[in-house]
Amino acid sequence: MKIVIGEGSCGIAAGAQKVYDALAPLLNGTDINLGITGCIGMCFLEPIVDLYDKGLLLKRLVKVTPEQAGVIAEAVKANDLTALKALEITDEDKGFLDKQTRIALRHCGVIDPEDLDDYLAADGYKALEKVLTAMTPEDVIEEIKTSGLAGRGGAGFPTWFKWNAARNAAGDEKYLICNADEGDPGAFMDRAVIESDPHQLIEGMLIAAYAIGAKEAFVYVRAEYPLAIVRLEKAIKDATAKGYLGNNILGTDFSCRLRIKAGAGAFVCGEETALIESLEGSRGMPRLKPPFPAEKGYENKPSNINNVETFANVSWIILNGGQAFAAMGTETSKGTKVFALTGKIKRGGLVEIPMGLTLRDVIFDIGGGIRGGKRFKAVQLGGPSGGCIPEALLDTVIDYKALSATGAIMGSGGMVVMDETTCMVNMARFFLDFTTKESCGKCVHCRIGTKRMFEILTRITEGEGRPGDIELLEELCEAIRSGALCGLGQTAPNPVLTTIKYFRDEYEAHINEKRCPAGECAALRTYVINKDACKGCTLCAKKCPVSAISGEVKQPHAIDAAKCIKCGQCKTVCRFGAVEVR
Amino acid sequence: MCDCGKSDLTLLDGVLAEYASVRGSLITILQKAQEIYGYLPTDVLYRVAEATGSTPAKVMGVATFYTQFRLTPVGKHLIMLCKGTACHVNGADAVEKAICEELKIKDGETSDDGLFSLKTVACLGCCSLSPVMMIDEDTYGSLTPAKAVEIIRTIKGGDAA
Amino acid sequence: MADMIRFHINGKEIACEKGASILDAAKANGIEIPNLCYLKDLSPYGACGMCLVEAAGSPKLLRACSAKAAEGMEIFTDSGRVMKARKIALELLMSDHSGDCIGPCKLNCPAHTDCQKYLAQIAEKDYEGAVATIKDKVPLPASIGRVCPHPCETACRRQHVEEPISIAFLKAYAADRVLASGNHVLGEKAAPTGKTVGVVGGGPAGLTAAYQLALKGHAVTVYDKMPQMGGMLRYGIPEYRLPKAVLDQEIAEIASLGVELVNGCAMGKDITLAELREKHDAVLIANGAWKSASIRCPGEELEGVFGGIDFLREIALGGKPAIGKKTAVVGGGNTAMDACRSAVRLGAEEVSIIYRRTRAEMPAEDVEIKEAEEEGVVFRFLTNPAEIIGEDGKVKAVKLQVMRLGEPDERGRRSPVPVEGEFLTLELDSIIIAAGQKNDPAGFEDLPVTKWGTILADEHTYATALPGVFAAGDATNKGASIAIAAIAEANEAAKHIDAYLAGIELPYHEPVYSEKELSPEMFDREKAPRAVMPQRAPEERNKDFKEINLGFTEEQATAEAGRCLSCGCHDYGHCKLIQYADDYCADCKRLKGDHHPGFQETRLVSIERDQGKCILCGLCVRVCEDQAKKGILGLVGRGFNTVVKPEFNDAAVIGACIDCKLCAENCPTGALKIL
Repeated sequence: MKIVIGEGSCGIAAGAQKVYDALAPLLNGTDINLGITGCIGMCFLEPIVDLYDKGLLLKRLVKVTPEQAGVIAEAVKANDLTALKALEITDEDKGFLDKQTRIALRHCGVIDPEDLDDYLAADGYKALEKVLTAMTPEDVIEEIKTSGLAGRGGAGFPTWFKWNAARNAAGDEKYLICNADEGDPGAFMDRAVIESDPHQLIEGMLIAAYAIGAKEAFVYVRAEYPLAIVRLEKAIKDATAKGYLGNNILGTDFSCRLRIKAGAGAFVCGEETALIESLEGSRGMPRLKPPFPAEKGYENKPSNINNVETFANVSWIILNGGQAFAAMGTETSKGTKVFALTGKIKRGGLVEIPMGLTLRDVIFDIGGGIRGGKRFKAVQLGGPSGGCIPEALLDTVIDYKALSATGAIMGSGGMVVMDETTCMVNMARFFLDFTTKESCGKCVHCRIGTKRMFEILTRITEGEGRPGDIELLEELCEAIRSGALCGLGQTAPNPVLTTIKYFRDEYEAHINEKRCPAGECAALRTYVINKDACKGCTLCAKKCPVSAISGEVKQPHAIDAAKCIKCGQCKTVCRFGAVEVR
Repeated sequence: MCDCGKSDLTLLDGVLAEYASVRGSLITILQKAQEIYGYLPTDVLYRVAEATGSTPAKVMGVATFYTQFRLTPVGKHLIMLCKGTACHVNGADAVEKAICEELKIKDGETSDDGLFSLKTVACLGCCSLSPVMMIDEDTYGSLTPAKAVEIIRTIKGGDAA
Repeated sequence: MADMIRFHINGKEIACEKGASILDAAKANGIEIPNLCYLKDLSPYGACGMCLVEAAGSPKLLRACSAKAAEGMEIFTDSGRVMKARKIALELLMSDHSGDCIGPCKLNCPAHTDCQKYLAQIAEKDYEGAVATIKDKVPLPASIGRVCPHPCETACRRQHVEEPISIAFLKAYAADRVLASGNHVLGEKAAPTGKTVGVVGGGPAGLTAAYQLALKGHAVTVYDKMPQMGGMLRYGIPEYRLPKAVLDQEIAEIASLGVELVNGCAMGKDITLAELREKHDAVLIANGAWKSASIRCPGEELEGVFGGIDFLREIALGGKPAIGKKTAVVGGGNTAMDACRSAVRLGAEEVSIIYRRTRAEMPAEDVEIKEAEEEGVVFRFLTNPAEIIGEDGKVKAVKLQVMRLGEPDERGRRSPVPVEGEFLTLELDSIIIAAGQKNDPAGFEDLPVTKWGTILADEHTYATALPGVFAAGDATNKGASIAIAAIAEANEAAKHIDAYLAGIELPYHEPVYSEKELSPEMFDREKAPRAVMPQRAPEERNKDFKEINLGFTEEQATAEAGRCLSCGCHDYGHCKLIQYADDYCADCKRLKGDHHPGFQETRLVSIERDQGKCILCGLCVRVCEDQAKKGILGLVGRGFNTVVKPEFNDAAVIGACIDCKLCAENCPTGALKIL
């Protein structure tokens, strides 16, 4: 019997390591193996403990606490798992995984990311072997072309085209770069892949390096992902030791070196030319295109950049054929896509599905809908470059074209679900706050334009909105979209445009009626005490920092709206639910 | 203004020996330097410029571009509070307010006792556990304002013991 | 030979070498595409967003600095979309561009006299240069310098340090110096055009227009009903403030340009508008406002009641109005001050000012009020004539209604209201009513008038309803104002008359400029008090009409001029940013928001930097690195908070600066200044 604990960052944050540490001593001297795996993707159930027998998953225990280690150890030692019934995953929750189709994530939560043998046992490096021994670089590019694989980082540009351009660019010295600077707030599939299946990334990159003719490769990874860096470093070391990396890989004359470069905190470095600047040790400010990186990239040499998820699909395509990949999905979007489902969702985590399902399938069927009995309002796709899609468009098919038509984008796959308590104006403001902080400052549209948009959104949420502000925002959106230098700026208006498009009434309520329909904007809230519910306990009056609440003991209290600073303390402390927000 | 001559620059020797001559290593060197000194003192930036053959303007430009780099010392514990989308939707603002009130600091500041610095970050990638914060190496998820304050008090208590 | 390609810009076929940018290809073919961050020898940067152009079939706008021209392309550099994109780029840039294009003195001067420039010239003792600068706008500097209520000083920022610069007196100082030298500083005169202009009225407006039009090569004749030229400067301003000998010299200078001066010629009597139109190619009416306004008070017809303007004119003509021993002047403006102080000088023993508000509300200049007090004038505030009481048809006394200040009106001015039943009686021999002036429309019956009875003229071109007839100054629109306002209108009118004579129409749009937000630290500097004008003692000066001010010493004048804070941007006139903002009619304030604070600091060897004006085009950083090969300047910070800085602000590092000045020379705005 083998016990495997899910130790991705999320699992660890949820307490997986503590569970591991509690279990380990209890299993000393037994023949029960204790191991780890990466992220299973069912973040809402972490920490997760899987029990295997002869490679078969017997039981999946969820939300395990260190205190339960004893019960688990006893049950496993006794080979009687009935006592673990209460810890087991429900059938409903199982559906979360069963309804997915996993390619990029196929090893995640299955193999031990720190063990090369585990990867090899799962057909690891077989695709590389096939490529190096039986395929020309042109064959590889052709196979990728057949698969229809498109860049999973956001723009959805055909992968084969970029590879081909880099392959055909003049020069012997070429570079392959993996963009692991997963900066979209709300997206974490790349982290999960590196933490859970680092060799998969290495293998995909090696195949790409072979295809374009690069001998040097980099993984540019966010500094905020320490565990991913550690696991990738170990994987590189192990792969090099076994001859999968370095000189004369697998005895062929293909050589490739892979290095990790840790980013230092700049979202704009997700833009490929900015990433190259950063790789070169400079400020991550985008370059003008043309020239494109395929022509002049890192050190002005032909370079190709793809993101983690893109590479994670490559070995599967080589092993199963481009046709098999292309068989999934829609006319314009092939294969599968990973989404990070978060927000006010019942079952949040990583979801990999074939293109062509609807948003409703993902959010309601797999994710179980909104938690806490609230009403669905919108789903945010594509992070700061994407948009908010309303309930009426939930049947939109997941495909690059259909999602773009809504004003949002596929993006890297962040899918943040919002309920009726989320203010859409504040949501737009949140993204513009992000964009202004992350703008590199080079071009005027992004540097000053997004700042002005942020200022306008701020005043709207603070009740200072003016007639004409919506139109002014739209005018700025158009100017920034067509005038900004790089993708960060050009797409920065999307969260604003989509919220105006689908939730214009919320903007108007803020501006004209000085009202926040979602009740989120503090400046527009009014706190009142419901006289019938108030018991006169005086707690709110004691807690109020500005003495805005008055009333006799055991008599209904009242809030002086003129004094109230809308901090919400009264509502938090009231045990009778008497404080209401209007 | 310049605190030149205050830092023990010999601590940098190893890092510089390894990376100074490797092209494009400025960010790596600054990351390692920050690990050594806890922040990037001015004299260290000068030393890096000199050793890498960059102008001080370039080193300063890089050091002020990336949010990871700090030009002033931080407290004993660094609180990185995630302000990503999922955390925003799930109440990160309220958590931030509670932390600020508890420590009497604002984002980017260090508490008077020198124990905690607060830095809000774009996304820690633990969206399913939102709202999330990282204190030093540990990640704390599913925060509420009360829970965040409790965690801080526990760490403070641990330091005092 | 290099590969050539052909493509179209704005429908015109262009040939260029393959690989050339659209911007370079356009430039080589005489099509200018605006840019702020582009420099031929540097690789394109793409920051400013000014060079955006539209390509047929492309949904995105292209940056002409980096986009390569391609065979068959259809490029549009001035489509509506492009113009709009550039305009908004400029509005964004201007919203984070904190600086004064134009100093507040120049802005607030109705004639926009370049005060900052002539102060600098005076500080360097270049008096002729200073006079040339002034005469560009004001051809009567010695006269105007003495009498102008100087809106420039009202706006002067130096007052936030301690006191405003004494700009008006410095103007007079420079002009006096040059007049005394016997040299005549006059503008350059163009070749004769063969056109003639008739100017009605030889006051400040008429003389200014005559000067400007004469310089343009037109033959100008000035017609005036009075015996001598000068208008209100001669007949409305007492000798003790403006010696007529000074005015005579300045008029003579204007006449020396060939301007014909015809005195004793009254409109409607000696000559008609129709005759003037017949005689001249264009006519300017600038005959002022010469009628004293009534206060509608019983007894105004009595003997011993004088109009303020009439009273002053009689003195100027050499008369001695019979005001007796006790007189009073009704009004609180500058004419009232001139009248009461003249009355003192005529020998009246008791001179009062009757004013219905308090001192704080008096429109007269503070210094004049002070000087009048010194000379013995009694101020009776919060009183208003209810009736002028006569005996035998002559003034005997005035009954005064006691007033109090009511609630402030929408402009914040508290209007006086009568205190019911409270009256005073003041025994008088005469009373002078100085409560405003009105124009006399006699002779201009063909012209439409405003509701105030003034001649209606276009507020930008000063054209009247009659072709070729223009009108400016006190006689027009809003009526009587200060001399410099009339001069300002005359300058504009002259410009449009010149254009009219050339058969062209000058377009008008509001000038575009940036204004700085003030902050206290801007004024945290060493204090240096304002120069005090030496004067004759009150008890001596109140006995005659000789000039009371003795004039600055040279030491005083240069030191005073040196107090100037030089608020206006040194680069105005060369600044590409403001030039474009003006070209594209950008609204500098529309997108106002948080901005970089403006401040000056000298960091490099001979360069002064003002971060507030920097638009982050990166040219200085790039020329320092790529051309000077020094890399001293760098970008610090990120996003909106990015600034350009020499690293660490450290003297040792800045020591590496070779003072090549390339950074400042290439700065498209006034952010970098060569000292």
